[in-house]
Amino acid sequence: MDRKLQSNLILAATVVLFILTWWYAAAVKNQTQLFAGPIQTAQAFAQVFTNPTISSQVVTALQVTLVSVFYGFALAIVVGIPIGFLMGRYVVADLLLDPWVNAWYSIPAVAFVPLMMNWTGLTSTSTVLIAFLISVFSIIISVYGGVKNTSSSLVETARAYNASEGQVMTKVIFPASLPNIMVGLRLGLIRAIEGVIIAEMFFAALGLGGMIDFSADHLDSALSDALIVVLAIVSIALSLALKLLSNKAIAWKESESIHRL
Amino acid sequence: MVLLIPKSLEEGEGLPEAEAETATGIENPSGISFQKKLIAFIVSFSVFLLLWQLVANESGNSLIVAGPLPVFQSLVNLLQNHIPLIARGAETADSAILETLEVIVLGFALSVVVGIPIGIAAGLYRSVEGVVEPWVSVVYSIPIVALVPVIYYGIGASFTADVLIAFLFSVFTIIINTQNGVRYMSNSLAEVGRTYGATSWQFITKIVVPASTPDMVTGMRIAVGRAILGAVLAEALIGETGLGGLMMIFQATFSTSYMMAAVVLIAIMGILVLQVPKILEHRLFKWKETERLARM
Repeated sequence: MDRKLQSNLILAATVVLFILTWWYAAAVKNQTQLFAGPIQTAQAFAQVFTNPTISSQVVTALQVTLVSVFYGFALAIVVGIPIGFLMGRYVVADLLLDPWVNAWYSIPAVAFVPLMMNWTGLTSTSTVLIAFLISVFSIIISVYGGVKNTSSSLVETARAYNASEGQVMTKVIFPASLPNIMVGLRLGLIRAIEGVIIAEMFFAALGLGGMIDFSADHLDSALSDALIVVLAIVSIALSLALKLLSNKAIAWKESESIHRL
Repeated sequence: MVLLIPKSLEEGEGLPEAEAETATGIENPSGISFQKKLIAFIVSFSVFLLLWQLVANESGNSLIVAGPLPVFQSLVNLLQNHIPLIARGAETADSAILETLEVIVLGFALSVVVGIPIGIAAGLYRSVEGVVEPWVSVVYSIPIVALVPVIYYGIGASFTADVLIAFLFSVFTIIINTQNGVRYMSNSLAEVGRTYGATSWQFITKIVVPASTPDMVTGMRIAVGRAILGAVLAEALIGETGLGGLMMIFQATFSTSYMMAAVVLIAIMGILVLQVPKILEHRLFKWKETERLARM
């Protein structure tokens, strides 16, 4: 049998197995309000599109979530890329900032939630700030790694041809570290979405995360599961869009990989 | 199905050639002396404390922002198991710390045991990759936190639920990094093994595993961080147990200086736990050499 076909068949089998396990677990639990099975979830998912009340709620929630993700991620890019460049290029910046970046990166993001609840309240400002705090360090670390590890032969060649510092930055280091920047952005986006959803789950009143939490707490687990599916589709679409963009940006990089069985 | 996640997960390991460098960690870049590092840290730490104090003065309300001194006092109290009267029902700090650590260790251990074999198989065999990759890339793109209510109402607020969430947060990172390490290991190593007629088992244990150990360790390092996040988040969101729960109880009872002390405790725990694998990495992979850009 063709290997591709075989692998797709196994994949399909795992999907079926997953749905059957879910269905069985729900049947054993036998409390649809608490733990809905696949059929109830599918029905609730259809409701998201057909029932005008629910779908308008979902659209509003989704808007709130996406706007927060956008602002949090944009802020993280605007702050993270320059800091990563400074740290990668200048020893002083590295010395002063590196311990902080590493320390803040190591802090579990959920620790920011109660702080923001106190400082900016249960608002979109808080969700944006939490998303920013979660995603900015991934971006800084990736950019920093790329800039710092730019091959010195590239930079020295440019220097030998009398390139200015600005030219070295924009014409040599930036393109050389672009793959790392893109990895940082893709990670940062996933983190920003996660941050927004974490914040919204805690606030339980805002956006898609809030709606998931609210419907689960109000014993409508089918709707809650359906909303998780909506969230999954949206996050996957966003990651995929950024992946395509980054593939375009770094299409010229090639890699050798092991010949596999 | 395309892989949605970044090829490698940290510190610019987007390229195979960069991987070897960053997986070793960066020790003493450009020969900066320890003294200079220490001075820089003292300077930046003082600036941080000063800013914190200024923000606290500016807000003028210790229920919103407590300054560094009250927070330090509360931290000392917490560590001596004093809990503010208003949060009387809460756990003492040592049992909370112990419980959180247990969740982290169990969740992480589970994800190593499950993740590494899956990662190796997916890196070596295309047919396994075809099955694993779609699942991993879908689940990795979804904020795992969204599954917390499902787990909470499915199996109830329990220690098991916390461990399960810590596991879900960390396992995919391990799978992805292991898979990448195996997949992008040097072709010449693999060919030498084949030429000398290594059996599959020898091939995996003697060539694949050592060659991809740096990536596995990197994956585990990131995964520890994820496990901490999952553990604290689960505790804060569902059972209000452990350090995460303590933090939320203090938040809800306006014990702001205690809440911030709990945050500091969680932060310190995160930083310490993440340093352990980093130090191990330095020790284990000193033999990897790199050329580095001279900076100004």
